[in-house]
Amino acid sequence: MVFEGPLRADADSILARYPEDHRRSAVMPLLYLAQSVEGSVTREALREIGALLQITTAEVEAVASFYTMYRLRPTGTHVISVCTNLACKLRGAEAVFEAAHEATGVAHGAELSDDGLFTVHEEECLGVCDFAPAVQINFCSHDTVSPERMRELVAGLRAGEVPSPARGPAFDSFKAASRALAGLEEVPSA
Amino acid sequence: MPVDPITLTIDDKEVTVPKGTLIIRAAEQLGIEIPRFCDHPYLAPAGACRQCYVQVEGQGKLQTSCTVAVAPGMVVRTQNTSDAARQAQVANLEFLLLNHPLDCPICDRGGECPLQDQALAFGPGESRFIDAKRVFPKPVPLSPLVGLDRERCVLCARCTRFCDEISGDRFLELFARSAGERVSIAAGEDFRSPFSGNTIQICPVGALTATPYRFVARPFDLTSGDSVCQHCSAGCNVRVDVRRGEVVRVLARENPDVNDAWICDKGRFAYRHADAPGRITTPLIRDRGLEPASFGEILPWLAERCRSGRVAFLTGGRLMDEDYYALSKLARTVVGTNDLDHRRAFHGGLAEVVAAAAVTDRERSVTYRDVEHAPVILLVGLDAEQEVPILHLRIRKAAARGAKVFVVHPRRTRLHDVAEHLPTRPGHEVFVLDRIREGVDGESFEARAAAALRGAGGSGVVLVGERLAEHPLAADLALAVASKTGSRFGYVTRRANDRGALGAGVHPSLLPGGRRLGVAGERAEVEAVWGSIMASEDGRDAQEILQACADRLVDVLFVIGADPLRDHPDAALTRRALANVGTLVVQSIELGDLEPFASVFLPAAPAAEKDGHVTDWEGRSQRIRPVRDALGISRPDWEIFAGLAAAMGSDLGFETLEELHEEMASLLAPRAMPERPNVWAGAGPPQWLDDLTLFTYPLLVDEGRLSDGAEELKAALEDPAFAEMHPVDAEKRGLADGVDVRLTTAAGDATVPLRVTEHVAAGSVFVPFNQPGLAANSLLSGRSTASVTVAAVDEGSGPEAVPDAALATGPAA
Ligand code: SF4
Ligand code: SF4
Ligand code: FES
Ligand code: FES
Repeated sequence: MVFEGPLRADADSILARYPEDHRRSAVMPLLYLAQSVEGSVTREALREIGALLQITTAEVEAVASFYTMYRLRPTGTHVISVCTNLACKLRGAEAVFEAAHEATGVAHGAELSDDGLFTVHEEECLGVCDFAPAVQINFCSHDTVSPERMRELVAGLRAGEVPSPARGPAFDSFKAASRALAGLEEVPSA
Repeated sequence: MPVDPITLTIDDKEVTVPKGTLIIRAAEQLGIEIPRFCDHPYLAPAGACRQCYVQVEGQGKLQTSCTVAVAPGMVVRTQNTSDAARQAQVANLEFLLLNHPLDCPICDRGGECPLQDQALAFGPGESRFIDAKRVFPKPVPLSPLVGLDRERCVLCARCTRFCDEISGDRFLELFARSAGERVSIAAGEDFRSPFSGNTIQICPVGALTATPYRFVARPFDLTSGDSVCQHCSAGCNVRVDVRRGEVVRVLARENPDVNDAWICDKGRFAYRHADAPGRITTPLIRDRGLEPASFGEILPWLAERCRSGRVAFLTGGRLMDEDYYALSKLARTVVGTNDLDHRRAFHGGLAEVVAAAAVTDRERSVTYRDVEHAPVILLVGLDAEQEVPILHLRIRKAAARGAKVFVVHPRRTRLHDVAEHLPTRPGHEVFVLDRIREGVDGESFEARAAAALRGAGGSGVVLVGERLAEHPLAADLALAVASKTGSRFGYVTRRANDRGALGAGVHPSLLPGGRRLGVAGERAEVEAVWGSIMASEDGRDAQEILQACADRLVDVLFVIGADPLRDHPDAALTRRALANVGTLVVQSIELGDLEPFASVFLPAAPAAEKDGHVTDWEGRSQRIRPVRDALGISRPDWEIFAGLAAAMGSDLGFETLEELHEEMASLLAPRAMPERPNVWAGAGPPQWLDDLTLFTYPLLVDEGRLSDGAEELKAALEDPAFAEMHPVDAEKRGLADGVDVRLTTAAGDATVPLRVTEHVAAGSVFVPFNQPGLAANSLLSGRSTASVTVAAVDEGSGPEAVPDAALATGPAA
C-alpha cells in the first residue's frame, strides 16, 4: 500500500478539493503525491490511484506517461533535466548534457547514477529559450548553464547545498519538489 | 430536405446536408472518398491521423475534413481538385508508413486493410526513409483474445476511443507521447471487456488482431454469409466467414436499427460450437446402444408412440421462428397436447402475453431507437451487460446523450457509472415498483424515477428482464408503471429467439400472436387458420412437464435444441424426469449430457446451416441465411416436425419455408392487445426475512453449450464459480472475503469461494448460473431464487471433503 496512514490523509485532502463527480481531476496531484514518497510513481501507486478515483490503471498510466514530470522508473534524489531542444542545442546543450553525465556518474542511456543520487535526462523545450541552454534541477530553473556551471551545480548538490534557482522556489530534492507540486506544502518563496 | 439544410460545394459539385454534418460525410454523399484512418462514423471526431486533409477556400491552412462541420456556401477542394490537399495526403501516408513494417504478407489484415488500400490509392508508392524501422515484440498480448503488433499501429485512437466512448471499459489508452506514443494496457491489467473484439474490427490497420483468427485465413480464402448472432436476444447482425466449410471468424455487420457497428465478444468469438466434436449429423435409435438409423425408419416408429402415448415438448431459445411455429402447430393440431414450453421456469403473466402479441405494435413496444432517444430509462431485473450486451451499449449511448437511467437489480451492473442503482433483494422489486407506480413524493429513488418517467413526455422506457417474471405480478406491475407514466414497455427475454418462441405460442397457454388458449375468441382466430386445436385445457409448463415425466405421466418427451440438465433450474428433478420418461427424443445438433437418457436422436441443423427468421428482444424478426450446407443428413427443425406430422398421417399445411412463413405472418399480424393490468392492490410493506435469498443468472461467458470450444474467450472473460454476499451479511456470519463457503438450499449444497461486496443487495447471495465449478441449478427447485444458508467450510475439511454439488446432489435417477 502506498496510500496508507498519513499519506492516505494527504490523498483525502487532495480528493476533497474536487467535486464528487470530478474526482478524476485529482489524478495529477495524486501522482505527484505518490512520487513524493518513492521518488517515482510505482505500479502499485498507479493501481491505487485508479482505485481511489474509480478509473482504470490504464487511464492513470496514460496521464503519468504523457507528462515527463512523472517518473515511472527508479529515480535519483536529484533530477537534472537538460533541455536539448532546438534553441538550447544551438547554444551548446549537448556539452551541458555530457557534463551532467560526467559529473554525476550517470552512464549514457542509464538515467540513474549507481549511488542513487542523480537522474539525468533529456528534456524537450522548457519554455525559456531566451536563456538557453536551459536546465531544471528538481523542477527549479537554471538559466544559460555552461558545462562548467553544470559541474559546479552537481558538486554543490553532492555537498548538500541547495542551488538557488534563476526564479521561483528552491527544493532540496525531487521528492520535496513533487510534494510541493501536489499542492500540499506552502511553497517557500524564492 | 434535411432539417437546417446547408448547401456547399465540394470539388465544384453542390451538395445539401443537415447542419452539423462533417465535410468528410458530405463528400461521401457525392461519392467522393477522402482517405481516412481515425474517422469512424460511430466515434466522436478526433483529427488524430491527419490523413483527410482538404482545402477550404478562405482558410489559410488545410483542414482535416473529419473534424470540420460544413458551413453555408463553403467551397471545399479534396485531393481531386486541389494539389495542396493531394500533396498533403501523399506526404501523410509516407509519414504513417515510415515505421510501418513490410508485414502485409503475414498480416491478418492483408487483403482487407484500409492502410494497404489507401496507400495504394492515395500514397506515394515509394518511401524515402532509409533508416532502421522501430521494432516491438510481436504481438504484445493485451488479453487472451487481442494481440497488438505495435509497429503496425498508426495511432489513430479508434481503439481507445471505442473503449472510452462506447463500452466505457477504458483498459486501452495511448501512453507516452511523440515518437514514444503507443497503445497499451496498464501492466498487470488485462483488456477485460466483453466488447474488446470491436477494437480489432475497427482498427484500420493490422495492429490489433484476434488470437483465435491469427494466421488462420486470408480474405480470399473465405466465403461469407450474413447472419444474426445466436447467443442472446440482442439480434446483432453479423457476417460469418467460412474457410473450407469451417466457421473461422464472425464480424459485426452494421445495422443502425439494431447493433450499430458492434457485437460483443461472445458473439464474435464463440463460433466453434457447430463444429464441436460432439456434433451428430445422422439420426440415432437406441437398440443395444444408440445406433445410426434413417429418418425413414425413425419417424414412423416415433409416430406410433406419439399416437398412442402422452407426449410433451420442451425446447429452448435457439430455434428459428419457423421452427417454433411448426412445433406449436404440430403439438396442437397433430399430436394433440398443450404440454409444450420453451421457457426455463419463469412465468411472465400479462407482461409475457403483451410481449408475445406486441411484435408489431409500435405504440407500446420498445426498439433500440426508442432506447437510444429515451430521456429516461427504468431497468428492472436485468443485468444488460451480461444478458443482452448490445442493449447495454445502447443504454450507455442513451446515457451519453443525457438520459437518466434507473436500475432496480439485486446486483450492481456495469451501468453503474452512468445509472443510478437501487440494489434490491430479489422478490422485493414489487415494493419498489409499487412505490414508483404510486408516484410517491420526496427524494427517494422511487420518487425520482416516477417523476422522471412522468416528465418524459411519453418517451420514457421501462425495460423488464424475464427473471422478474418469476415473481407473481412483478412484471405486470412494471407494465402498470409504464402504463401509468405513459412510458413504452419492453419485456426483455434473454436467449436468441425466446421472443420468437413466445410469439409462435411454444407455451402451455399461449397460441401464436399472444392469443390465449383459454379465451374462446382468441383461440377461434387461430383455429380459423389451423383447423381444430385438439386439446383445450392449458398445458403444463416446463417445470410441470418435468414433474409429470418424473411421475411417469408422460410417455414421450421431446427435448428440442435444449439441454435441461444444464439449463433447467432444478437439476435433480430434471434427472429424475429424464430417467423415468418412457421415450426421450433428443432433437439437436448433439447429445451432450442427454446421451445416457436418449431413446432417439434426431439431427437438427444449427443456425449457421438454416434459413429462417429470428426475433430479437424488441420483437424484430430478422431473416438469416445459411452460411454453409447442412452437415450429413441433419435438417432444419421445422422439416423434422413436418416429417413427423406426415408420419402420423397428417400434415402441417406447408411444404416450403415460404409457405410456412406466409401462414405464420397471418397469425402474427398486428392485433389489439389485452389491456394493461390495473389489478394491483398494493404490496404493503416489505417483510423482513431472516434467511438469505440465493439468486442466480447466467453470466455472458460461461459453461453454456454454445460457448463450447471458445477457449480464448473463456480464458479472457470466464470466472470460476463464486458467491457474492453483502458485508453486513458476511459480518453477521463471521465470513471473510475469499474464504470457501458452503451454500445449502433445499435442493442441494455446494462449496465456492466467497466475495464480500457492497455491490450485491443485503439479504441476498449471488451465484452465477453456470461457471466452472458449480452448476447452480443443483441448488434450485424450479425458480432462479432459493432460500439459502451460508457457512464457512469446516476447519480441516478442504474442498475434497465436500461432495461436488454439481454431481452428487439429488437422487440421481
Ligand atoms: S491499434 Fe489500431 S485502432 Fe488502435 S490506435 Fe493503433 S491503428 Fe488505431
Ligand atoms: S450482444 Fe448478444 S446477439 Fe449481440 S453479439 Fe453479443 S451475444 Fe450476440
Ligand atoms: S529549446 Fe530549450 S528551453 Fe526552449
Ligand atoms: S481521418 Fe481525419 S484526421 Fe484522421
